[in-house]
Amino acid sequence: MLVIDQVVKRYGELVAVNNISFEIKRGECLGLLGPNGAGKSTTISMMVGLLKPDSGTVRLDGASPDSNATRRLIGVAPQALSLYEELTPRENLTFFGKLYGLSAAKLRDRVAWALKIAGLEDRARHRVHTFSGGMKRRLNIAVALIHQPTLLLLDEPTVGVDPQSRNHIFDWIEQLNADGMTIVYTTHYMEEAQRLCDRVAIIDHGKLLALDAIPQLLAQHGGQSVISGRLEHIPSDFSLPGTLLESDWRLESEQPFDVLTRLAQSGVRFGSVQIAGPDLEAVFLKLTGRVLRD
Amino acid sequence: MNLLHLALKDLRLLFRDKMGAFFVIGFPVLLGLFFGVIFKGPDSSSGGSGKISIAVVDLDNSPQSTKFLDELRKNEGLRLEIDENEAARKSVRLGQRSAMIVIPTGFGQKAGLLWEEQPEIQIGVDPSRVAESAMLEGMVMQAVATLIGDRFQQPTMFLPSVTQARESLKGNQEVDLATKLVMGTFLNQVEQMIEAADRVQASNQATGDGGGFEINFANVKRVDVTREVNPSSVSGQLQKIRSDWDISFPQAMMWGIMGCVAGFSMSIARERSRGTLVRLRAAPLSKTQVLLGKALACFLACLLVMLMMTTLGVVLGMQPLSYLKLAVAGLVTSFCFVGIMMTMSVLGKTEESVAGTGWAANIVMAMFGGGMVPVMFMPAFVQSLSRFSPIYWALRVVEGAIWRDFSWAEMLPAILVLIAIGLIGTIVGANILYRRDD
Repeated sequence: MLVIDQVVKRYGELVAVNNISFEIKRGECLGLLGPNGAGKSTTISMMVGLLKPDSGTVRLDGASPDSNATRRLIGVAPQALSLYEELTPRENLTFFGKLYGLSAAKLRDRVAWALKIAGLEDRARHRVHTFSGGMKRRLNIAVALIHQPTLLLLDEPTVGVDPQSRNHIFDWIEQLNADGMTIVYTTHYMEEAQRLCDRVAIIDHGKLLALDAIPQLLAQHGGQSVISGRLEHIPSDFSLPGTLLESDWRLESEQPFDVLTRLAQSGVRFGSVQIAGPDLEAVFLKLTGRVLRD
Repeated sequence: MNLLHLALKDLRLLFRDKMGAFFVIGFPVLLGLFFGVIFKGPDSSSGGSGKISIAVVDLDNSPQSTKFLDELRKNEGLRLEIDENEAARKSVRLGQRSAMIVIPTGFGQKAGLLWEEQPEIQIGVDPSRVAESAMLEGMVMQAVATLIGDRFQQPTMFLPSVTQARESLKGNQEVDLATKLVMGTFLNQVEQMIEAADRVQASNQATGDGGGFEINFANVKRVDVTREVNPSSVSGQLQKIRSDWDISFPQAMMWGIMGCVAGFSMSIARERSRGTLVRLRAAPLSKTQVLLGKALACFLACLLVMLMMTTLGVVLGMQPLSYLKLAVAGLVTSFCFVGIMMTMSVLGKTEESVAGTGWAANIVMAMFGGGMVPVMFMPAFVQSLSRFSPIYWALRVVEGAIWRDFSWAEMLPAILVLIAIGLIGTIVGANILYRRDD
């Protein structure tokens, strides 16, 4: 559906997006994972036609996002809250709906739907500046959906949002994706990407470092699981693998359960045990040499 | 259609912002009223009619006192207002009226009778109005003279006085007999003359010839000696002004328009800083449409301000000479300031910088263009600088339609200048905005 081909975008000396290529399938939820300044928002801006690549192409269903017809297919919720705060949510939704050509009964129905899914029906006549951060975020996404786009671009949609609104947004995105909407989701929270996305593109310094389904990324770049625990008893003649500091024990292994079974059979008694599997944080660390939230 | 949606959204936002709305509507109205009152000047006691306002205290309330006041009212320069003694005195002291006249009790019995001591008419005039004082005394004398004439038009009115004089002469022991005889003969002849005059008058009235005596103390005829003034001089321009609001309301319109310019130039920066510009540009709109929507909103707001100010001015007494020319003035002025708004919107990148530079530019334009002090009152060298201010040209067309009585030919240069400024401003502003957002 969306093809990004060898796209480069520079701001003076800074290369914000450096020769990125990937493709997004219809109905897929793709995560763009990377720290702040990695080039995620610039990529989103080129997807919607707000920025022109210095080289390379962006195509949505074979057409440039510059064209009005293509833009009607895209809904974008920018990272900055893009709302008229002196207007009510109903007025915001109505205004943007009209810009996308909605009118009369269709517009009324869509506005009512958007207010409902954003959980703002009872605040429809209040001005946006009176809303909490979470309510504004929900409205920001609702405005992106008012014209029933086929591609939804969500740029850090949970920044500054309370846990309740975050869960509301997650449920909402999962439902939209289940209904067949294609979603591009940028975030620097790996938990969000792991929960929501079918595939994740890891971006840093404008470069695409990896793109795959999460299990494959973990398998390729996540490393071994880490077993840690407090040991109560170790047989006197037993050679314990890993490192032991007083009674705190730590071991990296690709087969953590096998290791624990073997130790238990050897007479080792555990006070507590934790197994930490590889995650996207570890993947990012492996690929970039630094943690995601640096 | 999208242009209209964009414009209506911006107008809604403008009027939702209380401070913005104040600078577009409230502030110009206050300014128009303030300067209108100032231009009215110290002659407020005339009530704007050019007449001298006189408080009248009529303690006699007789037909003669009424007749006297009627005579005074015939003077076009006076406006008489009946009042109580203390209130009348206070109104003159406070400068609300120019003078007061008190008609004493018994005025009707003696006024106009030449041989009686004349009743004392009290006149109190504001000391600062020396010329009016002398003029008023002359008018009072003229009215009293008319009463004397009236007495002669009804000769029988003199008979009770003749009878009283005869009785008085008869009972006076100090007058010698010869004198009494002469005076008695004189009074008899006066009595016969009065009776004869009454008969003649009655006869004339019956035949429709009018009648009686008519006494003219002076035969005054006014001739036209209106001073010739250069129409472009201050006096010449001021002569054309027909209402206290003719100058202040065009100025108020300019301030309202400047409020619109400041508000809308900031709104472009605000759209950018608050992220809504991203959403607008992601919508199926061209950049040109986004900018034209903003321009249309500013244009409509400017027109609305001019319409409101005109309506308020007309309610207060402003009488535009040509509504058609005023409509054209409104259109070209609004177009001009849309261009200025487009340029101002790129003078800074943040709302604060745009607001600061925008209002600074507005104030300079207003200062030199006649938005604060009318250009005609400025020194010559400042007047020549004022041609560089769009406010000057906007005031030319607006005032040309309201009170300067400009022909289309006289309005044309200002119209062309305003259109040129609007075009240049729009092209410059739009170009910079285009490049900045790429």
